[in-house]
Amino acid sequence: MTAIVPDVIEFPTALVRSKAGDHEAFAELVEQHENMVYSLAYHFFGDRSRAEEVAQDVFLQLYRSLGSIESDAHLLFWLRQVTTRRCIDQVRRNRLKAVSLEDASELRARDRSEDPLLDRRLKRLISELPETQRAVVTLRYQEDLDPSEICRIVGLPVNTVKSHLHRALQALRRKLENTP
Amino acid sequence: MNLEHDLRRALRRESPAPGFANRVLERIERAPERNLMVQQPPRPVWWRAAAASATFALLLGGLATYKLVEYRRGVEAKEKVLAAMQIAGEKVRLAQQEVREIGSQH
Amino acid sequence: MRKFLFVFLLTLLTAMPAAAQKINLDFPELAERAEEEVEITLDASMLRMAGKFFSGHDADERAVRDMINGLSGIYVRSYQFGSDWEYDRNLFKRVKAQLGATWKPFVNVRSKTKDNVVIMADMRGDKITGLVIIASEPREFTIVNIDGPIDIERLSSLEGEFGIPHITKERDRD
Repeated sequence: MTAIVPDVIEFPTALVRSKAGDHEAFAELVEQHENMVYSLAYHFFGDRSRAEEVAQDVFLQLYRSLGSIESDAHLLFWLRQVTTRRCIDQVRRNRLKAVSLEDASELRARDRSEDPLLDRRLKRLISELPETQRAVVTLRYQEDLDPSEICRIVGLPVNTVKSHLHRALQALRRKLENTP
Repeated sequence: MNLEHDLRRALRRESPAPGFANRVLERIERAPERNLMVQQPPRPVWWRAAAASATFALLLGGLATYKLVEYRRGVEAKEKVLAAMQIAGEKVRLAQQEVREIGSQH
Repeated sequence: MRKFLFVFLLTLLTAMPAAAQKINLDFPELAERAEEEVEITLDASMLRMAGKFFSGHDADERAVRDMINGLSGIYVRSYQFGSDWEYDRNLFKRVKAQLGATWKPFVNVRSKTKDNVVIMADMRGDKITGLVIIASEPREFTIVNIDGPIDIERLSSLEGEFGIPHITKERDRD
């Protein structure tokens, strides 16, 4: 009698184990994706504490929704979509400028304070964009998604996403050229 | 200026503060909704007690949800207060600055 | 002299609970033209809720909590524009026109070309029971209405706390 032994024994993924109730596996899932979720929120709000709060909310919601997650690819899509939509919803609900008090000097965009670091300037300018443009730019350049992927996340037609991206880049170029 | 290149650099992923996963798990542990995931097998003899337990758990879950919503509203209200005070303080200091300047010209 | 007067007036402030009047701060024409807008509306119940979330162990947070204690509302409208003076510079008069006889000018700095700041205080005896701050800057128009007793000196001293940086504008020199 011959036993057929596979060359590779597949260990269930963290997602599969999490769905089975394994909390350590869920912690692995969080660790795998925390940078992505946190960064989406941080680049949206420019506020680390707010980003942490949103990121925690997203993973709490994930924990409750594990049963509906079908695959690792679906999980990634789900996390990006939920994070982005939470950020947009918060801004629309509160109508607060999405700039933290830690970065309150950036509220005064026409202040004459100097900012020699281009990255910081860009982050500030991005956080001043209208919320949908902000989301589209962040998904495009943080996550390297193309418009056809972004449109599924934000729930808009692909041409609308392209238009938002185009206008956002125009606005950023103009502000970079005009801001001393 | 290569804006797209600069954007990719500026928007590279960053990490939350250390221990993020633990903090998420702590919130999950605290949330009574966890208990809703435990399913009791149907027992005709004890169906009234089971129904009462499930209802009580749902009520607790509803209460927990309500408290979570209230917590978030409170945090948002605090942020708004700080933002309002920051703006008000700034404009008062602007007035002080203007008065100082006028005073220095006389 | 003006500086002395300003400081002297500040030291007169004490708190006494009293109701101040409701002021309309909404100007739709501003929102339409503005590139950015900050709108904050906090009534008494929201302020009470917010107060519970300030730490009693942290001196700075305690200071803010004490400051908002007893207030009936805080209302902020701030509009930022893409170029200079895109809004009606006489808008501050429409705000002032709503204020009753108990409102006195606290500060009135006027300039044809630069920042204008008007601070009106609702005076009941020598107590302030309300504050309206109207700041007209070339690219920003801001109204702050604080309904209730407020200490202006403590308000202006908040800069540098809670991680709020010193953001007092550098004056442009002609």
